[in-house]
Amino acid sequence: MHTNVFEAPRRLSTRPPRRRSLITLTPLIDVVFILLVFFMLASSFLDWRAIDLGSPTRAASGGGMTGAILVDILPDGLRVSGVSVSPSDVAEAVSARRDRSSGARVLVRPLAGVPLQDAVEVLDRLSAAGIDGISLTRDGG
Amino acid sequence: MHFQSPRPRSDEERILPLINVVFLLLIFFMLAGRLAATDPFPVKPPASVSDGEAGVRDLMVLVAADGRVAVDGEPVAPEALGDVLTARLARDGATRVQLKGDARAEAVHVVAIMEQLRDAGVERLRLLTVANP
Repeated sequence: MHTNVFEAPRRLSTRPPRRRSLITLTPLIDVVFILLVFFMLASSFLDWRAIDLGSPTRAASGGGMTGAILVDILPDGLRVSGVSVSPSDVAEAVSARRDRSSGARVLVRPLAGVPLQDAVEVLDRLSAAGIDGISLTRDGG
Repeated sequence: MHFQSPRPRSDEERILPLINVVFLLLIFFMLAGRLAATDPFPVKPPASVSDGEAGVRDLMVLVAADGRVAVDGEPVAPEALGDVLTARLARDGATRVQLKGDARAEAVHVVAIMEQLRDAGVERLRLLTVANP
């Protein structure tokens, strides 16, 4: 009995031996860091968009071209039904032609040497002007 | 009123804020990023102002800047593309197809692949782009 009474204050005065916790922090941080690096490297933050390319057209299948407005994309310019236009006026030119022949489809035909980015820009301009029924096509081949 | 002088803290106490921040970053990257399979070759999609949603897809066709083609991450020889597409469409009826072409790829080449897709019976074709920065 006496020993217990005397032991208690002595234990309080000295620091109790540090108890090892079940999960120590250092390995936890290691794992969390590895997960963080994995997710930082593996995840992509690209904002994906899509251009709907609806009704298919084949230049070679005949009849597809008649009555349609043809937008040619050349490496150094644009032609709407054979008339050269500047890139900023292409939507206007197509709209004007469309008013004359309503419901005409619009065929966008990139020629050799044109990168996809240029074709996408023309598609953007046309759809920004509210023109629908756009298809991509190429020389019947 | 007297303030306690800052006593030296243990190592564990000192790294707790660090762990908090690292956990927050981890959760941010887990939730905000999207894990995606890497492409067999680098494809830098064209920028566009269109606001169409990418949506779901059954099949993904990749076109590299130098004309290489891959279907769902598997490189395909250009001559064999038609057969591969027909087989895939017949097998799982993939009608929603997304086309991811490099911005510098030859547009004529991409359109030729689109025609092959249409010949194979694809009904819904979407051209993938990224939003303008």
